[in-house]
Amino acid sequence: MTRDIWKHLILVIGAIIVLAPFYMMLSYSFKSPGEIDRGVGGFFGAQEMMVDPRCVKLRDPNRDEIAAAAPQYPGKSDSEIRAVIMAQAEIDCSMRPVVFNYSKAFIEAPLLRYLLNGVIVTVSIFFVQVLVALPAAYALAKLKFWGREAVFGLVLFCLLIPVHAIALPLYIMLAKVGLTNTYAALVVPWTISVFGIFLMRQFFMTVPDDLIDAARMDGMTEFAIVWRVMLPTAIPALLAFAIFSIVAHWNDYFWPRIVVTGSRELFTPPLGLREFKGDADGSFFGPMMATATIIVTPLIVAFLVAQRRFIEGITLSGMK
Amino acid sequence: MAGLSISSVTKRFGDTEVLKGVTLDVADAEFVSLVGPSGCGKSTLLRIIAGLEDPTSGDIAIDGKGVTGMRAADRNLSMVFQSYALYPHLTVAENIAVPLRMRSLTTTQRLPLIGPFLPGAKDQRAEIATAVQKAAEMLEIGPLLDRKPGQLSGGQRQRVALGRALVRDPAAFLLDEPLSNLDAKLRVQTRAEIAQLHRRLNATFIYVTHDQVEAMTMSDRIAVMMGGEILQCDAPSVIYEDPSDIRVAEFIGSPKINILPIELSNAELTLFGQVLGRITEAAQAGIYQLGLRPEALKLTQTEPVMTGTVAHMENLGSEVYAQIALADQTSRVTLRAAPAERHKLQLGAEVGLGLDLQDGLIFDAVGKRQRRIEVAVTHVREVA
Repeated sequence: MTRDIWKHLILVIGAIIVLAPFYMMLSYSFKSPGEIDRGVGGFFGAQEMMVDPRCVKLRDPNRDEIAAAAPQYPGKSDSEIRAVIMAQAEIDCSMRPVVFNYSKAFIEAPLLRYLLNGVIVTVSIFFVQVLVALPAAYALAKLKFWGREAVFGLVLFCLLIPVHAIALPLYIMLAKVGLTNTYAALVVPWTISVFGIFLMRQFFMTVPDDLIDAARMDGMTEFAIVWRVMLPTAIPALLAFAIFSIVAHWNDYFWPRIVVTGSRELFTPPLGLREFKGDADGSFFGPMMATATIIVTPLIVAFLVAQRRFIEGITLSGMK
Repeated sequence: MAGLSISSVTKRFGDTEVLKGVTLDVADAEFVSLVGPSGCGKSTLLRIIAGLEDPTSGDIAIDGKGVTGMRAADRNLSMVFQSYALYPHLTVAENIAVPLRMRSLTTTQRLPLIGPFLPGAKDQRAEIATAVQKAAEMLEIGPLLDRKPGQLSGGQRQRVALGRALVRDPAAFLLDEPLSNLDAKLRVQTRAEIAQLHRRLNATFIYVTHDQVEAMTMSDRIAVMMGGEILQCDAPSVIYEDPSDIRVAEFIGSPKINILPIELSNAELTLFGQVLGRITEAAQAGIYQLGLRPEALKLTQTEPVMTGTVAHMENLGSEVYAQIALADQTSRVTLRAAPAERHKLQLGAEVGLGLDLQDGLIFDAVGKRQRRIEVAVTHVREVA
């Protein structure tokens, strides 16, 4: 009984440590800047109307606009007209903090564009990774050829190479070929995933040889076996790999930051966070956290959807 | 349908020689069993015939055409695996359709989404569906067509595997211990069904098993394999009654054949010091081995050849098997007796055993059958 309590206590502490940053992120994305600064307002903040100072500033009329507006306000001086316009602007620019944070995230930064880029990049990376890893893993697991062990040794060796160690040479190569600031630069370096090859190879080792022999007897070529037999049976392993691959590349800040130097058109979602990294005038934590929330939501939703399938999987129960 | 010929096939895995020059001809529509203990090379031989394994040397020909080195897919053979090897992600109908789809549809016609709309695909697909339906009806698995293999019992999976093999018209069927994963009752039933299927399809079957009962009951001929060689290939009755090697005699037959040492000198055969008979032709004197099936031994009180005590008895209802510990020897013999004689076979009871030397099989010291030794006079009993 007491052991159970200890177990649960440790797990609860672990859960709190993991969840706390998400709690903060979500909470900040709801609050007004003042509440964030002062650390008040609980989880949701008071959601009192607030004025967006930048919006008001943008509507500060210049001389011509005051002149244009003058006929509507007869008998008033320029400064009085300006005061009226500004008062109107303050009304127009006031909103709930949550609306402010999330609208900023979408308007200030072209977040939809970034999200689209994120989808294009992660999906292409994953697609090509599978295209490469499955046949490679099949060959390493099930075909007998001279030097197979050596090739597998190389795969294991490549697992040990940290990305950051080869980032600079990779960048230089891409720059020489003239591929920086393209989707290709974001995708190509990741298309061969040794981790994917290793993971799928380990899974394919568990697929009975009889199944492959049966496919050969049924008239399939080796490539047909990979796509028609191995792929469908490997769905659980492939989903596990998909989670690793997609999470890693969706959240990657390092590599896009290196190869996307100019155009914001190619920014991936994490690069979008930089938009709110205030320089002189302080950081916009609210919109920044709203952006972060929007970036992680697709991943969490995708995981929840995949989770059931992940656990159920297609077992090889038909085999025994 | 076609005959098959295997000529001096050898196979080495590293330093181990799994097949040591196997030659076998299988006639069209023949049912041949490859039987032997595990590790005798029977499955390897089947895989070489199938094209899943390359022989180290030797040739395989199907219907007179050499196929050595040809891909398994191009040999037009069907195979049923011990583990059934059904595709776990496909339904029963799709499983059975695979060999037809791979052969009659082109690569583009097999594509998902657009494949079914390509010219000709519709007719082909309808043909495949009909063939699948026919195979399913033959095996009585019609109601299971929409299920996945995971939802089927062992016997049902076995039928689906058979269906996948017979849905097209192959040159021969290769079966690799297809019954060993079934329970005993189902095995007996399926055994009969496979034999019937063979008669119905009139196709060439090569059947690998370690179970001698399956081999005996289903085959036209049995090839007994041991240590990478075929010891004997003959009809089941010949294999049982007239084995040419002591290992064949020992492997086939349950309970196992009794082997007793026998001595030949001065044209007289002596067992445990008793002369059993004389031989007609001159043969080299020396020690031979006498094989006696359990049914060749009889309980007798008058002038028994051997005496012993009952050490163990198995009553199977229709017959009784008793193990007799011989009086002067440490060896045991097995005896088959009729149920009527059961009362004589109480544990520990003293019994006398008689035999007819005509029923005995004589092998030389290394186990080769000595057919030349024919016994002229039997029941000559002299106490030596």
